Amino acid sequence: MAECQSWEHELSRRSVLAGLLGGAVAGGLSPLSPPAFAEELKQNDKQILLLWLDGGMSQLESWDPKPNTRFGGPFRSIPTSIPGVHISELMPLSAQRMHHLAVVRSMKTEDPNHSSGVPKILRGHPANRGVVYPYFGSAVAKLMGPTESGLPPYVWVKPGNGGFISTHAGFLGPKYGALALGNGKPPENLVRPEQITDEADLERQELRELFNRRYAERRRAEFSEANSYVYDLARTLMKNQDLFDADKLPEKDHERYGKSEFGRHTLHACRLIEAGVRFVQVTSYGWDTHGDNFNAHASRMPKVDRALSALIDDLNERGLMDRVLVVMMAEFGRTPRINGSVGRDHWPNAWSLAMTGCGIKRGTIVGETNAEGTDNATEPYDIGSLFHTWYSAVGIESAHAEFYNGTQPLPIAHDKMKPVAELLS
Amino acid sequence: MLLRAFLIANLLSLCLASDIPAEEPLHARIDQLILAAGEGTTPADSSGESEFFRRLMLDLSGRIPTREETVAFLADESADKRAQAIDRMLASSDYPRRMQELFHVILMERRGDDENWLRFLRAAFEENLPWDRIVRTILIPEPDDEKFQGAGYFLTGRLISEGAMAPVDVPGLTRDVGRLLAGVDLQCAQCHDHLEYEDYKQQDFQGLLMIFENVETRRDVKFPAVTEKLMTSPQQFQSVFVQEPRTTEPVVPGGEIIPIATFPAGEEYLVPPDKKQRTPGVPKFSPLKALANGLTSAENELFARNIANRMWFVMMGRGLIEPLDLNHSQNPASHPELLDLLARELTAHQFDLKWFLRELALSETYQRSSRLPESDSQIDPRSFLVAQEKRLSAEQLFWSTLIATGEAERLRAGTKPEQAHEPHSLEQLVERHASLKSLKKEFLKTFANPPQEPEITFEPSVKAALYLMHDKQVLELLESREGNLAQRLNAQQDNRKLVEDLFLTVFSRMPEEAELQQTVAYLESHQSQRAEAIGQLAWAMLASTEFCVNH
Repeated sequence: MAECQSWEHELSRRSVLAGLLGGAVAGGLSPLSPPAFAEELKQNDKQILLLWLDGGMSQLESWDPKPNTRFGGPFRSIPTSIPGVHISELMPLSAQRMHHLAVVRSMKTEDPNHSSGVPKILRGHPANRGVVYPYFGSAVAKLMGPTESGLPPYVWVKPGNGGFISTHAGFLGPKYGALALGNGKPPENLVRPEQITDEADLERQELRELFNRRYAERRRAEFSEANSYVYDLARTLMKNQDLFDADKLPEKDHERYGKSEFGRHTLHACRLIEAGVRFVQVTSYGWDTHGDNFNAHASRMPKVDRALSALIDDLNERGLMDRVLVVMMAEFGRTPRINGSVGRDHWPNAWSLAMTGCGIKRGTIVGETNAEGTDNATEPYDIGSLFHTWYSAVGIESAHAEFYNGTQPLPIAHDKMKPVAELLS
Repeated sequence: MLLRAFLIANLLSLCLASDIPAEEPLHARIDQLILAAGEGTTPADSSGESEFFRRLMLDLSGRIPTREETVAFLADESADKRAQAIDRMLASSDYPRRMQELFHVILMERRGDDENWLRFLRAAFEENLPWDRIVRTILIPEPDDEKFQGAGYFLTGRLISEGAMAPVDVPGLTRDVGRLLAGVDLQCAQCHDHLEYEDYKQQDFQGLLMIFENVETRRDVKFPAVTEKLMTSPQQFQSVFVQEPRTTEPVVPGGEIIPIATFPAGEEYLVPPDKKQRTPGVPKFSPLKALANGLTSAENELFARNIANRMWFVMMGRGLIEPLDLNHSQNPASHPELLDLLARELTAHQFDLKWFLRELALSETYQRSSRLPESDSQIDPRSFLVAQEKRLSAEQLFWSTLIATGEAERLRAGTKPEQAHEPHSLEQLVERHASLKSLKKEFLKTFANPPQEPEITFEPSVKAALYLMHDKQVLELLESREGNLAQRLNAQQDNRKLVEDLFLTVFSRMPEEAELQQTVAYLESHQSQRAEAIGQLAWAMLASTEFCVNH
């Protein structure tokens, strides 16, 4: 766990400088209390880790196999630690840990396109209110704020480029966007040039605060508070820069999570959660298996299986299962019908997702599909119901909590849906 | 249509309103209306000299003043020096550059750059082209005039496909035309009449959409341009709620329905398409031309209200109607009579933006302090009885940083003697120095919003904080080099003078006595590392709210 990094502690010792500059330190130098998070839930230590399999993982090659049926494909199913429940043979490690997981096998969502489906699912597809809703991570950043660690509330571990991704925040505004670690690399300009000592950096920050305080006299506080907040956050990131660098992860953990990109990124996410980041999303790309679906899943699923299992073990071992909600999903599943390229296409009609951790009744399988997996055999669930479930699991009353777009109150999840009671502990 | 009814009601109220004598200049009438609406509330003081001058410079010149400019303004004792400064800035070559940068961001929302387009904007503001003419040129390009050839980029820049995942977004273009040129965001009326705003009808959206569905990007010319296909039949659409087929002809936002004109086969074109030359034809019936004329007509209230409200926003930091693109009868202006007046006067002055900005700048409303009145710290920003703080654009921040650090001065001083007779504009300096070119690029990358996000509110970012804290090029600006601020300050032995220079250069004002003493004390306590201490002060000022906001 990261120690308390708040730099006001250090500054309060710097009385010489403070004395020279008007002695304003007694009033508290820019504490790490972002004004924008003021309304957020206090005393809530729950965190969320989202594993996102972009492009659409096949439910038939994972949570909901249909071996020996018309569309079943070549893989067998294997028994799990829950009697009577089978999953794909591509996930043997997860099968052993099935009693820690909860799976929904009757997801039914609306959108069969990636470009619109991804945002719809990641926003929980709320009713259209003429605004752009935030993605899950931004929504949680807004609703729960940073944890006591002061670390940025929404970190996104992904392949490719990183940066500060404001577009995820929708109408909440850029400060609720994601800090994206591209390929596990820390954000640009995080490392201080050698010629600037820590001491010198503190001093110039204090001078900046001094100018800000003078400026804020007889002005509304927002501008200076916003300025102070981003500099405080920048310093918090720097103090934790090892945390944002996947190269610093221990080798033996890396082995356990699997030496794949997804394994490395999931391990990294687990470390970020441990350090106190409120919401971490891991994205794995390339799941759009229109061609050669089976070889692709034969290669991909074991990587997911290994990383997910190591994550479950770590969370259990560290006593984090009751604090951290883990969700693994994609924007849809894949068609039962196998196309001419031995692939499976986009399938929002009847697919699966999995979860574990805080607030979740583990060892639960909710819903089922029919014999060939071509439709739901039980009550289907839309993503809105799952968002309600997940918010409930981390202690947010999703039926009542609201966002505000200016003065317009907006439900945080689809107002016609409610949590899936069977999933909640 | 209700939109029309709303406008007619507005026109009627105009005829009945205003017992203010018409001969008074607009700026005086603005102040009367603002004060009348805020009766009972004490307004903020008038801005101080340097507060006014910095604000004006940022608004009209797109940069902070140089130290010399500030000193000269403060020393000027003429009674009308504020008005003189306004006129000077409107006449300066900074003005068209600032307007080009401003309108590029407003109209293209960081979608990308196009040399022809930027040249068009520059020429438009150099010649003070009226706003209605600018918009007509954007919608019906004038390819024969080379200066204006780039105007079509407003359309073509939005007709780009980025592969199968992001096909050409014609509804998006339609929405932008409504938002940016008429102040109406019709997006929610694409599939049904707007559920909450009764003015926004699906027919309004569909009637505008069909005009742009009829447009194609020209491939036979090197500059951005569009051509139109033949339009022969009405647009069919139906509401997702009321499933009955409807049709419409083209509709001008805030204007009329355009009847589709049909011609006998073989007579549809003014200039028939030429397959050999690959030139597109010019149809006799041009919905785009009808749109351009209808939108910019003096009778189109939406058009005038939109630009009046947007220019008010630029100068005053907040629209009379907010959001800027939700002009409808259920979202009235904070000062309805004032917006009516502004729209009417701007129309009567042939949409002369320079005249309009001058009137806004001359008003007491613009010239109020941004410091809250001592008696009333809760004063409502919508009252315009206190000046609003405004976000600096990436461009304003870049030019201001060059001035504040003395980098511009340093590079000018280093100019070869044979070029020294012509003082280089900031832009020329960037042209000539690769280091500045890359710095500018980084500033835009760091401080601008992502594409398609309007730059309305102040949004400091961790990314920008880290950039100012650690970027090598930024830090170099603060190192002592021949001719720059750090070098000049290092050479100054008198600490009081040093601090005055620092404040004048970076904050464009004199330090208050308390600040002067504090800062001098800081320098004295760092005698052994004086150069570093100066750098620390300068950095802290650059990174402070006071520098990165227009207040």
